[in-house]
Amino acid sequence: MFWKFLDNIESVICRILLSGFVCLLFVQIVAREVFGFSISWIEELSVYMFVWFVYFGASYAALKGAHNRVTFQFKFLPDGAIKYIEAFADLFWLFFNVYFLYLATDFVFNKMNKFWKSQTLGIEMKYIYMVLPIAFALMTFRIIQVNYRRLVKGEDISDPDQIDLDEIKAATDAAKKH
Amino acid sequence: MESEIVTILFGSFLFLLLIGAPITVALGVASLVSFLYLGENPIKFVQIAFTSVGAFPLMALPAFILAGALMEAAGISKRLINVAESLAGPFTGGISAATVMACLFFGAISGSGPATTAAVGMLVIPAMIDRGYERGYASAITASSGGLGIIIPPSIPMVIFGIAALGMAPPPEAVEKFGTFQSVSISKLFIAGFVPAFLIATSLLILNFFMSKKRGYKGVAEGWSIRHVGCEMYRGFWSLMAPLVILGGIYTGFFTPTEAAIVAIFYTLVVGVVIYRELTWQSLFQSLEATTWLTGRVLLILFTATVFGRLLVENQIPAIIADSMLSFTDNLYVIWALIIFFLLFVGMFMETLATILILVPVMLPVAYSVGIDPIHFGVVMVCTLGIGFQTPPLGENLFIASGISNITIEQISLRALPFAAANTAAIFIIAFFPELSLWLPRLLGY
Repeated sequence: MFWKFLDNIESVICRILLSGFVCLLFVQIVAREVFGFSISWIEELSVYMFVWFVYFGASYAALKGAHNRVTFQFKFLPDGAIKYIEAFADLFWLFFNVYFLYLATDFVFNKMNKFWKSQTLGIEMKYIYMVLPIAFALMTFRIIQVNYRRLVKGEDISDPDQIDLDEIKAATDAAKKH
Repeated sequence: MESEIVTILFGSFLFLLLIGAPITVALGVASLVSFLYLGENPIKFVQIAFTSVGAFPLMALPAFILAGALMEAAGISKRLINVAESLAGPFTGGISAATVMACLFFGAISGSGPATTAAVGMLVIPAMIDRGYERGYASAITASSGGLGIIIPPSIPMVIFGIAALGMAPPPEAVEKFGTFQSVSISKLFIAGFVPAFLIATSLLILNFFMSKKRGYKGVAEGWSIRHVGCEMYRGFWSLMAPLVILGGIYTGFFTPTEAAIVAIFYTLVVGVVIYRELTWQSLFQSLEATTWLTGRVLLILFTATVFGRLLVENQIPAIIADSMLSFTDNLYVIWALIIFFLLFVGMFMETLATILILVPVMLPVAYSVGIDPIHFGVVMVCTLGIGFQTPPLGENLFIASGISNITIEQISLRALPFAAANTAAIFIIAFFPELSLWLPRLLGY
């Protein structure tokens, strides 16, 4: 249970953040159109929630194997070979993430002073930028995890964008009978 | 010096794409290597990572994806398709014409091509086969009109184009030569896309009429009845209101696109929970989850593409491309033809949103320097990339249509060729007559 929760941590965080900023913006619209005033901190807070949402979402997309690759050139290769080539390509991804992680950590902890604050909320920007090291560390872990599951355990992690054809067929049959 | 950096930047980018690295990684690593080669401080990456994503207009992207997913779950899309079928069903080639119209309606609430094809195709392809349409034809027209989903506003590719183009000022030489250009905004793009989308839909409808006549596909026996149409419209009233709320709000300037999407989300929640009672907790969670990975994936590309684009501009690469193009020809029609064929080619291989993010920093300055209006350019770019959904090898719509109708992708793509040709012809008209795109925004005072 705990592990399952941990394995879905990005999804949980993102659901909360997404519903959070959608509701905040709705409150803003209602306040402006109905009551005729605007709440100044909403826009800033929702943008920061959005940035957090995006980078945790990127890590979640890595877990789902959803990041777009160009694959037409692999059409004539056996399936077994493709996953090793992609794993090799993922080494570059790891290299990029680790280097970026170093840059972001250095930036957040050494370059940003505590006088650098957000305009309306007054929070130190340092805490808001913190999402970059956290989310990229998580993403790096996800890349390793996905490749472990693909190569060692032989699981099939396909892009969730490839709409499940069996599901569509089942739904079509159900619609026909109906 | 300059040619070396071009080799490094594009060489490593293409190499990484070829070995199957994610597009965002190919962009990121290529930029990083170039940064290190140029001796620039890569700490800029961190700032760009935050500033490129932290922009208010960008929030329209997850909001529209979420609104579309919720409308599907709430039963709004299904009812829109029924209305379209009742309108066009009785005519020659009626149900296939209804498919095109359903995609138009559906496109008005969702911004994604494959989602449109899946939602509409699941209902109409079996219905067409039942009425004696050939499987290949039924799938081909669905896959082709599914591409309309990304052109008719609200369109997710247009949001992405707007974001990518926002930060790019026209080069001063171009302003000197052609006068000031209008500024780019997502609302303006949405309004500009309206007439072109109808033009493309009309081209599909005309082709469908003649092909159905030749193949002898007749309408339903009962004939056209105002009662039936009225009945479906009554049932679909709350669904028909959804596009009105979104587009009306944007076109009258009452809402920004982001706000319109937020309002649409709450409208759908109310309709789905209180009126249709089809929305469940499970489908709500699924919609939130799909929005999460879609947004995360696209906007990670936005971050790396921004760094990549900045490197291109700093090294004057778009200017070099524009110069070499102008030395080849200065005929605007030839330049448009080159642009369209190039986009068709790229659209065959690469995902649409990633393509827009990568190509806008290269192509928009070129467009400026030959005097093309940025809004007009955006409309043509999105329309052209929409054809990529129906052409192999990537053709997402083809895969979905083939899954529904149980025939091979090769058969469908052969049948889809005439539609792609009609589509391309319509795009040339849109490109050659800028007024088609620019008239409506001006009329509405944007």
